[in-house]
Amino acid sequence: MTGFASALWAETLKTIRSKVPLFCLIGFSMAPLAGGLFMLILKNPDAARSMGLISTKAHIMAGTADWPAFFNLLTQAVAAGGAILFAILTIWVFGREFSDHTVKELLALPTSREAIVTAKFIVIAVWTLAMTLFIFGLGLIVGSLVVIPGWSVELARTAFINILGTAVLTIPLMSFVALIASAGRGYLPAFGWTILTLVLANIAAVMGWGDWFPWAVPGLFSGAAGPRTEQLGLHSYVIVILASLVGLAATFYWWRDADQTR
Amino acid sequence: MEFAIETNGLTKRFGNVTAVASVNLRVKCGEIYGFLGLNGAGKTTTIRALLGMICPNAGDVKVLGQTVGPHGRGPWSKVGHLVESPSPYPELSVRENLDVARRLHGIPNSKVVDEMIERLALASYANQKAGTLSTGNLQRLGLARALLHEPDLLVLDEPANGLDPAGVIEIRELLRTLAHEKGVTIFMSSHILTEVDRLATRIGIIHKGRLIEELDTDKLEKLRSKRLEVRTRNLEAAQSGLQRFGYESIIQDGTILIDDARAIEHPDVIAQILVKGGTPPTRLAVEQQNLEEHFMQLTGGVQ
Repeated sequence: MTGFASALWAETLKTIRSKVPLFCLIGFSMAPLAGGLFMLILKNPDAARSMGLISTKAHIMAGTADWPAFFNLLTQAVAAGGAILFAILTIWVFGREFSDHTVKELLALPTSREAIVTAKFIVIAVWTLAMTLFIFGLGLIVGSLVVIPGWSVELARTAFINILGTAVLTIPLMSFVALIASAGRGYLPAFGWTILTLVLANIAAVMGWGDWFPWAVPGLFSGAAGPRTEQLGLHSYVIVILASLVGLAATFYWWRDADQTR
Repeated sequence: MEFAIETNGLTKRFGNVTAVASVNLRVKCGEIYGFLGLNGAGKTTTIRALLGMICPNAGDVKVLGQTVGPHGRGPWSKVGHLVESPSPYPELSVRENLDVARRLHGIPNSKVVDEMIERLALASYANQKAGTLSTGNLQRLGLARALLHEPDLLVLDEPANGLDPAGVIEIRELLRTLAHEKGVTIFMSSHILTEVDRLATRIGIIHKGRLIEELDTDKLEKLRSKRLEVRTRNLEAAQSGLQRFGYESIIQDGTILIDDARAIEHPDVIAQILVKGGTPPTRLAVEQQNLEEHFMQLTGGVQ
């Protein structure tokens, strides 16, 4: 793959210089911060009563003020928020080349188009994983500051696997977002796709077919609908991998062979 | 390798619309080829096909002796391009944009970026974000990007766009120097006919997707040359009278056209001959047919 190192350098520079990845990180940070606020509310029932709606919301979302509930909240936030924020980052990395008409500067180069697409996917994977690790770390700090009961290293290890696993299942599915942002030549079609998959994932999960629908698998893995061993089978992971590979191959094919008129 | 660009029956359709139809281009190495056409004539589609950005429905494209495609493959390390308006990354500075281009072109020497910044008079803007540049400076940045790797072939779409008059002259001289001193082949599209006329050694005119005419150096010289236009009430008698004094002429659209340099320099002598011959002129003018006139005749009449 000619020029991969150069392509990776270029994509990294673009990511560092842009505000979009930073805004995604700030948006994602809201999950542990809101979780901490909920824990604080649940810890102080008298004060919570006077807070009305947010108190009710905290009860519905978390239930009790302890580490298992806090980690559970964080994992589900990664499942729902990750699908949106990871998609925003992906849409920016791919879609901006078409919205800003910069794609034409990437096509007739000694650096191959495959190298450029690979570099983009790597930047997305690294940044989304870094965001996930960051919010887990931030969650630990927020939980410690709020001082909630029920901490154990084993619990933290399980929560880490759950959060990371949810992110790892969400990230490959971004290949379809990349494809739609490229083929749709901009941001909006890919946003539409993201919303559509979120809605369909919820419907599939409610109807009991979530284990067969790739975009529902990360949410089910997070434990949003109960223990994942009851919700998912090996086929669920296989279908996520297959769907992601299809998206990946289609994105490469599109960049390499489609007419580029932007 | 005789030709830097060679297309055979290049055809591109978008749905039912044929953007380019059976275009056969031959651009010789070291030539400055002006590619003219109205908006929507097929200039940019042709340029995109030359750069492997679109796949032709029929025909083939060779650039610097190498077939373009499949999968967008081509001799891109030797080709510089500026397609439509320049599109740098707005969040990156001028220097960073050029550094990205340098790395993607695989140039190890980072000094070329500073050299190009100096050459294109961008030094004052080197650390400014590209998104805040004026149209003229964006164009300079686009040209700097295209020239960064010292290409053998430059494919430029409207290179003078947005430049002020001094910038237009500066870029014209730069391109002329590149062609004459370094043997760079330049393929440039434009709708600024005077600009193309001043720079190009050969011109192709595309209209409604078809290459309708190519003007070589001789034809261009002829177009650029002056002539004396004479009108009288008796054209044939006036022409005979002029012929007796050794002035060859043709009659076209009710006007006698004389290419003779003596007549162009001394139209008063022609007036005397005509008056003495009993065919006094009703109009006598030294005119220069230009590319614009020729272009309008061609594109206005072809359906």
